[in-house]
Amino acid sequence: MSTLVQTSETEKVKSVSVPKPYWNPYLSGIGLGLVLLLSFVIMGRGLGASGAFSSGIAFVLEKIAPAHTNANNFYKEYLGDGTKSPLKDWLVFEVLGVFVGGFISGALGGRIKKTIERGPNITDRKRLMFAFIGGALMGIGAKLARGCTSGQALTGGSVLNLGSWAFMMCVFAGAYALAYFMRRQWL
Amino acid sequence: MNMPFFKYGMFGDEVSLIVAFVIGIGFGFILERAGFGSGKKLAAQFYFTDMTVLKVMFTAILTSMLGVYYLSVIGWMDLSMVYLTPTNIMPQIVGGLLLGFGFVIGGYCPGTSCVSASTGRIDGMVYLLGVVFGIFGFGEIFPMVSGFYNSTFMGQVTLPQFFNLPYGVVVFLVVLMAVGAFVAAEWGEKNMAKKAGAKK
Amino acid sequence: MKNLTLNKKLAFIAIALGFIGLFLGNPYKGNLLSMNTKELSMIVETKVDHVTVQDLADWIIQSKMDFKLIDIRTEQEYNEYHIPNSENITMTSLEKADIPKSEKIVIYSEGGIHSAQAWMLLKAKGYKGVYILFGGLEDWKDQILFPKLPEGFTPEQVAKFEKTKEISKFFGGTPSVGGSADVKSETPKMEMPKLDNQSGNKTPDGAPKKKKEGC
Repeated sequence: MSTLVQTSETEKVKSVSVPKPYWNPYLSGIGLGLVLLLSFVIMGRGLGASGAFSSGIAFVLEKIAPAHTNANNFYKEYLGDGTKSPLKDWLVFEVLGVFVGGFISGALGGRIKKTIERGPNITDRKRLMFAFIGGALMGIGAKLARGCTSGQALTGGSVLNLGSWAFMMCVFAGAYALAYFMRRQWL
Repeated sequence: MNMPFFKYGMFGDEVSLIVAFVIGIGFGFILERAGFGSGKKLAAQFYFTDMTVLKVMFTAILTSMLGVYYLSVIGWMDLSMVYLTPTNIMPQIVGGLLLGFGFVIGGYCPGTSCVSASTGRIDGMVYLLGVVFGIFGFGEIFPMVSGFYNSTFMGQVTLPQFFNLPYGVVVFLVVLMAVGAFVAAEWGEKNMAKKAGAKK
Repeated sequence: MKNLTLNKKLAFIAIALGFIGLFLGNPYKGNLLSMNTKELSMIVETKVDHVTVQDLADWIIQSKMDFKLIDIRTEQEYNEYHIPNSENITMTSLEKADIPKSEKIVIYSEGGIHSAQAWMLLKAKGYKGVYILFGGLEDWKDQILFPKLPEGFTPEQVAKFEKTKEISKFFGGTPSVGGSADVKSETPKMEMPKLDNQSGNKTPDGAPKKKKEGC
């Protein structure tokens, strides 16, 4: 009897520490497409991510340096007309949901791990440095392009928006172009 | 059927925020299910070893593009009420290139970095900080770049309009292109796996 | 390997759906339009799109009705009173209406706001001959139905007022001679003239019946 109990316990421990495999990419894609479609059907808009960060930054900056922020046309767009908080924004709530959804999926799949993703040929510190630089470049690029892969590529792509498709091609082009120089980080 | 529901006044702003949150949960959940919480997996796309990014992205576009198209032609959805971001072609091209650089250097895009951060990846969190910094920097230099930012405005323009093709034809071409890309991706992955196996 | 047949099935479904799409036509139903903003701004500044109530009254009396007169207000307001020969089309009905682009259209509302908005809508749809009744029903009431001869009138003004009185009576209104300029003075109860029939298509009594073009 005791051995039976023991094996079930070790099994339980195993299932928590070993991460479950990911979904079939095509099925994930269909799932993602359906979520996107739901957004179109209910709201008449698609998904996004970068816009939420802009709202957050504009909000914080306005508290710290209101005169400067209000004089800047870029931040003004996210501050709105002052009748409601810039944080009461559709994208802000959506991105909060993304954090939560990602966490739930990760938790269910046993994939929550405090780690740093990188290839074997680079140090943690260098990886973090690159992560920061990459993020900054993305931030600038996303603002110039009026969106990121979620907002422009996925959303604009579905409605055959010219700018979105041009953007998407450039993202792939840019990434592939620089991939050789970054191979030390990943391979 | 009056889609999009929100644009027909079926519910207000407060409810739409709840909708946003729920949709976001779905979005984040699937991103993580696909494995996009991992920067390594995302970056592998650009070394042809793991083409999940392409497969997921284009399958998603196909699904929602076909869905939107069919719902519109049968009259359930009014496509003209769906927001179409106006095109500023030059900033979008430059922005796309920068985003591509950022993708392969940082290993994430804004959406996936959220998923990565919430599943414990420190590089994902640092990446997010980078995004915040980048947007802040952009905001500060905005007065200088606003000319470029607003240049080459083309209004709201779709691929069918630009290439003067019927909408359905473009839909079909996109499907063909995507499926072709999938076939190439599968072949590419198998090839890389063979090469890696031979090397060992 | 099971993945392969699944992928093949998905690819087949996608291509089939895309192929069917070739025959399904345009998902945009034609309410997304473009406007020439420069042309629009110039028209507004030169005011070539205005029609005064005097002009309209003259045309109706002389049966010069080579245009469509549209009342953009609600059905209830229309039934209470409308300018003779006018047709009631609300904003949303106007958006859907299939009026030939060659038609000349005069729009009126209570004041000028809704008629101006309807003007914008029709211009965007590509109508060339769209006009706004300047001053709307308010001016129609003030100048046509209930014209007032101001105090301290000159002989010329009296002569002119005779014609105005005729026009007013034609439309069933009540002309009056103004008393003191004091605003506080009691304004006579303005009763809107009752119309014989509510269809609004009947030509005024006494005028030769003109056949409507393009029925």
